[in-house]
Amino acid sequence: MPQNKKSLSLPVLHILLALADGSRHGYAIKQDVERRTSGVIRLGPGTLYEAIQRLEEGGLIEESAAPRDAEPANGQEAQRRYYQLTERGWTALREKLQQLGALVDQARANPRLKKGLA
Amino acid sequence: MRLFQALLWCYPAGFRRRYGTELLETFESLRNEPRHRGVRGHAAFWIHIIRDVTASAGRQRTRQVRNRLREATGAGAPAPPNHPKRSEMDTFIQDARYALRQFVRRPAFAAVAVLSLALAIGGNAAIYGLLDGFVFHPFTYPEPNRLVSVGVTFPKLSSDVTYVEALSPAEYADIRKNRSFSQIGAFDLGNRNISGGDVPERVFTALLLDDLFPVIGMKPLLGRGFTREELGPNGPPAAIISHRLWQTRFGSDPNILNRAIRIGGNSASVVGVMPPGLVLIGTDLWIPWGGDPAQMPRNVRQFTIVARLAPGATITQANAELATLAAQTDQAERPRFAEYEGWHLQATPWAAALLQDVRAAAWILLAAVGLVLLIACANLANLLLARSTTRHRELAVRLALGAARWRIARHLLTESLMLSLAGGLGGVAFAYLALKASPVLIPAQFQMLGLNAGVNARVLWWSLAIAIVAGLLVGFLPAIQATRTDPHDSLKEGRTGSTRGGRLRQALVVVEIALSVVLLLGAGLLMRSVLNIQRVNPGFEPKGVLTMRLTLPREKYPAEAANVFFDSLIERVQAIPGVRSASAASQFPPMGSFDTQFTLERSATEKTKLPNALITVATPRHFETLGVSLRAGRGFTPADRLKAPLVAIVNQAFASRYLSGVDPLEQRLTIGSPDRPRPWVTIVGVISDYSNNGATAPPRPEIVIPVWQQTAWNQLFLLVRTDGPPAALLGSVRQAVVSIDPEQPVYMTQTLEEAVATSSFQQRIAATLLMVFAGVALVLAAVGVYGVMSYSVSARTQEIGVRLAIGAQRHDVVWLVLRQVAGLVAIGLAIGVTVLVLAGQGISGLLFGVQPADPLTIGLVTLALAGVGILAAWAPAARASRVDPIEALRYE
Repeated sequence: MPQNKKSLSLPVLHILLALADGSRHGYAIKQDVERRTSGVIRLGPGTLYEAIQRLEEGGLIEESAAPRDAEPANGQEAQRRYYQLTERGWTALREKLQQLGALVDQARANPRLKKGLA
Repeated sequence: MRLFQALLWCYPAGFRRRYGTELLETFESLRNEPRHRGVRGHAAFWIHIIRDVTASAGRQRTRQVRNRLREATGAGAPAPPNHPKRSEMDTFIQDARYALRQFVRRPAFAAVAVLSLALAIGGNAAIYGLLDGFVFHPFTYPEPNRLVSVGVTFPKLSSDVTYVEALSPAEYADIRKNRSFSQIGAFDLGNRNISGGDVPERVFTALLLDDLFPVIGMKPLLGRGFTREELGPNGPPAAIISHRLWQTRFGSDPNILNRAIRIGGNSASVVGVMPPGLVLIGTDLWIPWGGDPAQMPRNVRQFTIVARLAPGATITQANAELATLAAQTDQAERPRFAEYEGWHLQATPWAAALLQDVRAAAWILLAAVGLVLLIACANLANLLLARSTTRHRELAVRLALGAARWRIARHLLTESLMLSLAGGLGGVAFAYLALKASPVLIPAQFQMLGLNAGVNARVLWWSLAIAIVAGLLVGFLPAIQATRTDPHDSLKEGRTGSTRGGRLRQALVVVEIALSVVLLLGAGLLMRSVLNIQRVNPGFEPKGVLTMRLTLPREKYPAEAANVFFDSLIERVQAIPGVRSASAASQFPPMGSFDTQFTLERSATEKTKLPNALITVATPRHFETLGVSLRAGRGFTPADRLKAPLVAIVNQAFASRYLSGVDPLEQRLTIGSPDRPRPWVTIVGVISDYSNNGATAPPRPEIVIPVWQQTAWNQLFLLVRTDGPPAALLGSVRQAVVSIDPEQPVYMTQTLEEAVATSSFQQRIAATLLMVFAGVALVLAAVGVYGVMSYSVSARTQEIGVRLAIGAQRHDVVWLVLRQVAGLVAIGLAIGVTVLVLAGQGISGLLFGVQPADPLTIGLVTLALAGVGILAAWAPAARASRVDPIEALRYE
């Protein structure tokens, strides 16, 4: 089932953004998103893996080898799955960010909104 | 952790498989976050998790259903909006609201209804949970139903099928070729001492002949499985440990991999840690067996086989292949190994092979608790019928105003469904508590087989299904009755009501009584069996004996060193104040498991079976410790040592079966299979028989030989007889062990009485639970009788008034009521007894020394029912006798 680019929801966008910094495992993605949004978006484990499933099925992310900086000796790390963006994921993320950028630009053109968006 | 695992069941299987482990980990990491500490943090955590899981699992399930529908219909188009559906929903909500208002108006009725249903549904859910953990889904392996064990029967030796430690490496090598199995492995069970660290620990260990983990479908959490090299003969020593062991003994050391640990005095490298939970029959340590299969004789059978059926293969196919194999082996090997004659191999689902004993009791309990539910339903239907009689006018008005009959029936069904669903909710809570307490009832040896009974998704579904069925059952009769209501008659009838509902309600009470009779009889019969088992003379004196097991590492205690250890241990234990005697033996009653073939010099044994007897090694004072008497000859003496002539003592069962008509003393025999020459052993004594084959079976022939003439026994039970309570000795006995070897653990400590009790635990559990069920049933039936009688008395007030007015005495009136109760009880009793006697086959397997149609039990049940009937009818009868004839006649 191809992932519809327009349907990238906010949490999903944040997951992609988190992965844009390098490959991460599920819990790290969750922490990253929480930090990035100052705790506004708190992904529950179920929601998180649901999103991961959709993104995997949509071919936007894929499993990757553990990054070199992950401590290899730590038992927890040894069996975690890491995810990274695919080519398609990068494209989708860029397109979405462009869309959002355009949206913000448009909004800025509105004099009544201008003040808050400076 | 188990709660998390339970939560995972909310998700569809595919999702669970792909992300389950990761989800569990994320749950775990989340819980460990600093903000989730403390009571508040804990609460916040759970709220967060539950909201998250319900939301995402809901979406996943919807998606699953949608995908399935799409597959089924072959169309991608969504269903068009369905307006009639919505109005159905509206009707339901309307009915539900109306019902709720009714319940609020009569809270006592609703409370009684919900509570009784909660108990009944809870009992069902709890028993189902037990069955689920024990019988249906005891393992967490993928596709556990495709996992089989291969059992073997040697008709020449015994008629039993054995699965555990049943086959030799050569036989395993043959079975491996079976094409119905895609994967196969075999293991030997044992205990190993893990030392290094503070305290030595005894660990239940599986010794793998082949890599078993792919067969059961489990991967190590850390590290890897065994390599081919490690599993081969004399491979590099490697070990895989359980999650439990990793946590408790190694403090969850992240650097555990490749660490060397001491196992039984040898060093082995840890190559893997398994995930939490049960892996293989409660073992905590897995090491390669390490021997060379080619060197093992065909008849040394110590391996248990686990195999996975190949895709598409069935157990029947596997069995057909096994039968061919058995026939070939019979032909080729019978000249050397006589036991192959007519031998039989069979593949059985792994769970069934391990748990065959527990199943009978489990099914009976499920049936019994089902009966309780039926009684509760009948009772509630009765209450509802009574209420619908009083609500007659309300329903009649609604009918008269033009309500459709089905609409009213549906409304009543909605009411009962709401009651039963609320009851179901309470039932789940009850089941949760009951299952938490269940380990108390189940002996440790069965728990280790992998009991993961708890409230899981299947238990929840089951409870929901039962609740719905109960709701429909309960609402069915009142609904039918309501639709038969004739508004004309009902409105004309006035307040006295009709007797039509009365018949129906009496019939329901008869059903209730009959069902309680079945339960009471079952409970009574099992109780009598338990008592009978206790009354069996075991032939030894179980009181006052403490038992424990010691296994000396071979590396530390080669050959005779083990004997020296046990020698001095017994000496020291006997010196403890209060100890009367102490002994060591390889097994003790009531259950012997080591047996052997043997050959008598006279060889006047039966032709059809190879002579076979239990074989026990023991120290001199063993019979004294057990309280078994010597019938002829002598006991062992310290002079029966390695270099002295070999001696044996046999029991009377042995003498009468194999040496009837001759003096057993001075007869000679060889112990072991006759495939190679063995030394002669002389019988020097005969002991009286005692239970050695379980408490209820007749004793098996047994040969006892002195420990001191053996060097192969490093694993023995220590038995200590004392004058006081045996458990109090444990400390000083341990002290004695430590004073000889501070690194030597003892384990499996229990009193002889406990060992005897364990052997009849099935009857005990079944009897205890059935008693509880029967008690509940009796109370419910009494409530039913009371309800029907008080209704009947109030409906007959006028009649009673007339009788009193024309000269009937008060006691005549009481008798009138009691006679009616007696009628109901008699019919119910007759039906119940008939049903139990007809269905008696079902429980006869658990009965001991009593027949299903046991007059004493039936008599007691009759008395109990009569008593309860009188009790329940007392208040209505008293009320009837107080009827004022003038009042009653003026009534209309």
